[in-house]
Amino acid sequence: MNILIVGAGKVGYFLAKRLIADKHTVSIIEKDRVTCEELAKELDILVIHGDGCDPRVLEEAGIERADVISAVTGDDEDNLVICQIAKERFNLRRTVGRINDSKNERIFTELGVDVPIDSTAIIAKIIKGEAAFEDFVNLMSFQRGKLVIVRLDLPEDSPVINKKVMDVELPPDSVLVSILRAEEVIVPKGNTVFQPSDDVIAITSVGNEAQLLKILAGKL
Amino acid sequence: MYVIIIGCGRVGSELAKLLSGEGHNVVVVDKNRAAFERLGSTFNGLTLTGNGFDLELLKRAGIEQADAFCSVTNGDNSNLISAQVAKKIFKVPKVIARVYDPQRAHIYSALGLDVLSGTILFAAMIRDKIIETRFSGYLIETKELGVIEIEVKGALAGKTIAQVNIPGELLVTAIIRMSSVVIPEPQTVLREKETLMAVVKVASLNKIKEKFGLGER
Repeated sequence: MNILIVGAGKVGYFLAKRLIADKHTVSIIEKDRVTCEELAKELDILVIHGDGCDPRVLEEAGIERADVISAVTGDDEDNLVICQIAKERFNLRRTVGRINDSKNERIFTELGVDVPIDSTAIIAKIIKGEAAFEDFVNLMSFQRGKLVIVRLDLPEDSPVINKKVMDVELPPDSVLVSILRAEEVIVPKGNTVFQPSDDVIAITSVGNEAQLLKILAGKL
Repeated sequence: MYVIIIGCGRVGSELAKLLSGEGHNVVVVDKNRAAFERLGSTFNGLTLTGNGFDLELLKRAGIEQADAFCSVTNGDNSNLISAQVAKKIFKVPKVIARVYDPQRAHIYSALGLDVLSGTILFAAMIRDKIIETRFSGYLIETKELGVIEIEVKGALAGKTIAQVNIPGELLVTAIIRMSSVVIPEPQTVLREKETLMAVVKVASLNKIKEKFGLGER
């Protein structure tokens, strides 16, 4: 894929390196000249110095060839406007916008950013899950929050312990993804048996989260 | 009218004072509390400190009852977002955004947002002052129509408005006599030393300048 990144801060830089490693074509726009020069020296990609809100700069960075734009600057206004210009002026189908201030989540969604990513909320959620030792941890939401990946440390009194996967009836739209058992990662099959202190990772639709928890943990 | 103004800089404070002085209900929002000092002591509207696209703050500002909303901070992107929030989320009937960057102004006005670009207007005004001494295109927000000023002298004196008007191209809308302004009837007769203000199609500008002997200075 051809991916245009705007903003070469920590997020943009890390994202670019990951995407390059995955053999994607990456170009990046950054306001700060010194950052641009360092980036151009280190990475073998197109680096454009300029304001990503300026349509000419987007053109220079090859937006017309891009499949996806991801606006990951530290400024929410910029990220939103970049996504809108990419969509409206350049007809880009997929826009990813980073939300720095969680308050702006609704605005991003309502004003047409395809994939709003609220890093603060994601980190806060993970920390909250870890800090509270909650049984049920929401790892990630996608499809605009309709689907979630959840992790559950099976409690000792879980009704599924010693049962086979095929004998446990999951709620609709739910799939077991893997079972973490000590250091081992198991891809569950029908005859896999749940054991105490298994970590179960599953995908489910948001509405069925509670039902899934009840089946796996025996309680809400 | 109930008007919310985002940004209390020079433009925002001037607008707030103007509207408030005319008896409208005005709420001004600015990130910086000190900015409200520009409003002076006679301003009797409300002020709120905070971000112009903070949904909670806008609700407190009464956006759900607002008749009009203008975002006039010095940040284009902030203005564009505030204006879209007002228009799309809160359905405010009249929404205006100030945008410095002409390119962004074009993109967003094509999207249906009411965008005023001081940069475009001001450049056009200055150009008109330099090049077209008697013509201005900035009063009317279209590239097709402008206002022209014509001094009455020579053959023009003694003619009626009906004789001067050119259907589809030029329409005299006002006569300046001494220091008063008259809205003319078709049969009004022009006198020496008066000045006409006429609406003119930009496409016919050269033809009209020639006809009335308005060379470029």
